[in-house]
Amino acid sequence: MIYSEFIMDYSKLKKFHGKIENAHRIEEGKNLSCGDEVTLYFLFDGDKISDVKFEGHGCAISQASTNAMIEQLIGKTKEEALEMLKNVENMMLGKDFNDELLGPIINFYDVKNYPMRVKCFLLPWKTLELALNGEGKEPSKE
Amino acid sequence: MHSTEWSDEAFCRIIEDFPVLNREVNGKRLVYLDNAASTLKSSTVISKMTDFYLNHYSNIHRAVHTLASEATSEYEAARDKVARFINAQSEEVIFTSGTTMGINALVNSLVRSDILQKGDTVLISQVEHHANLVPWLRLSRFFGFKVEYIEADVTGTITPDSILAAKSRVNSPKVVSITGQSNVTGQTMPIDVIRETFKDAILIIDGAQLIPHKQIDVKALDIDFLVFSGHKMIAPTGIGALYGKRALLEKLEPFLYGGEMIDKVTFEDVTFNVLPYKFEAGTQDIGGAVALGYTIDYLENLGLGNIQKHVEELSKYLLEELSKIDFVEIYGPKDETHQSLVSFNVDGVHPHDVSQVLDEDFGVATRSGHHCAQPLMSVLARGSHIDFPNSTVRASVYFYNRKEDIDILVEGLKYIKRWFG
Repeated sequence: MIYSEFIMDYSKLKKFHGKIENAHRIEEGKNLSCGDEVTLYFLFDGDKISDVKFEGHGCAISQASTNAMIEQLIGKTKEEALEMLKNVENMMLGKDFNDELLGPIINFYDVKNYPMRVKCFLLPWKTLELALNGEGKEPSKE
Repeated sequence: MHSTEWSDEAFCRIIEDFPVLNREVNGKRLVYLDNAASTLKSSTVISKMTDFYLNHYSNIHRAVHTLASEATSEYEAARDKVARFINAQSEEVIFTSGTTMGINALVNSLVRSDILQKGDTVLISQVEHHANLVPWLRLSRFFGFKVEYIEADVTGTITPDSILAAKSRVNSPKVVSITGQSNVTGQTMPIDVIRETFKDAILIIDGAQLIPHKQIDVKALDIDFLVFSGHKMIAPTGIGALYGKRALLEKLEPFLYGGEMIDKVTFEDVTFNVLPYKFEAGTQDIGGAVALGYTIDYLENLGLGNIQKHVEELSKYLLEELSKIDFVEIYGPKDETHQSLVSFNVDGVHPHDVSQVLDEDFGVATRSGHHCAQPLMSVLARGSHIDFPNSTVRASVYFYNRKEDIDILVEGLKYIKRWFG
């Protein structure tokens, strides 16, 4: 069963939901095949990720994944976040990964057995990758 | 009793002809309700196709040997069957890879032939599948024609009023290209009303969803072009057909150039082969076309009227049973124009999660997503009374489904609502 207690609980979490008005970086992610969307808002303190929030809608897997990811990101450096991302992706690809770096994200381990749902799980992570490696979107001046 | 059309014994024989219906999925009997995406395949059709490939196959048309002659007659027999199936002449039937290719080919041919010109208007509807929307939208940019829409109401339904409103707005479109049945709302379109309203337009019908369960008579409906796919009516993937009125096909420039479609080629110029070969460049999907012919034999043997009635009964039951559930929101019309498929949402549960649990715990195959109709999702969102997830769950039936399948779906939905709260 893909819907573990952890995933069900995290899919309903509300505390990371919302917008950061003066965000340093805003990144939008989309799953073309299902129409799921997520927008991540980042606040940085030097190299450290000091706050993240998200807006968007999606299935229980993508919502739980986004909440759990944000919980892990806050307080990490960008470099640590990217290292975590690499291990998360390796976990989904069935490659070697360091589970000590993943913390509670290990609760998503079984998602790799549901190929159609891997993209739901990875949506926030792919968006994070764009935010940290890509150009990002200029925060709105309004 | 599984149906009023076939005895239980006859229905069991139908089920047995689709071996996958006897397999278990996640420890449950497979309940296949994803027919609008693609139907299951029949042992009878597949074994006849296998026999063709193994014992009679070669390339068609040119060679004089025995196999070429056998393969050519099977291929042309398939064309005759498709023609009879839609009440056309054989030379008006062109094999394609399916509906999407059919529409793309038509758009290209119409502009190449100067039939569709700069400043002309193409009228489509807001419920079209991307296959009957994107080709028009994109090529309108290159060739300067306009695309206008028959608007759907907030349930995603095309009404007589919206057709009239489009008429007063557009007046005389050069082309009207409309689906015979929406793959999202299940609405079967009033083709006769549309034809009557736009008498002078070239009328193109996307038959992908309609033709598997309802006969389309191109002459009676005065359809200029009809496109459809075989795989939604138990034929293999990769084969479909394009019908066009002879007079129009003769005026049309081919959309693919190559072998077989030519009459005479010099280093300076080319003349084209006669219909329908003018539009069949390159080696065709011979086995697929032949199998489409066997499929039509199969459907006619079951009785096209019986298939239609069985699907109508199941559609009515599906719609009624889902309507009884207060946490389920249904899209599309509420009357008998709603056929063969129902799109819906479970309030508070994302369609992906609904489909996942239906599969995992109940063996029920449904589809979740935007069903290749993204613009329509924004229309449905406006009429929705729930937190609309920009997608829906879709359950669709065919002649091998039974009421019990729908009962299992309903049981699954109630479980899901309890589970996700």
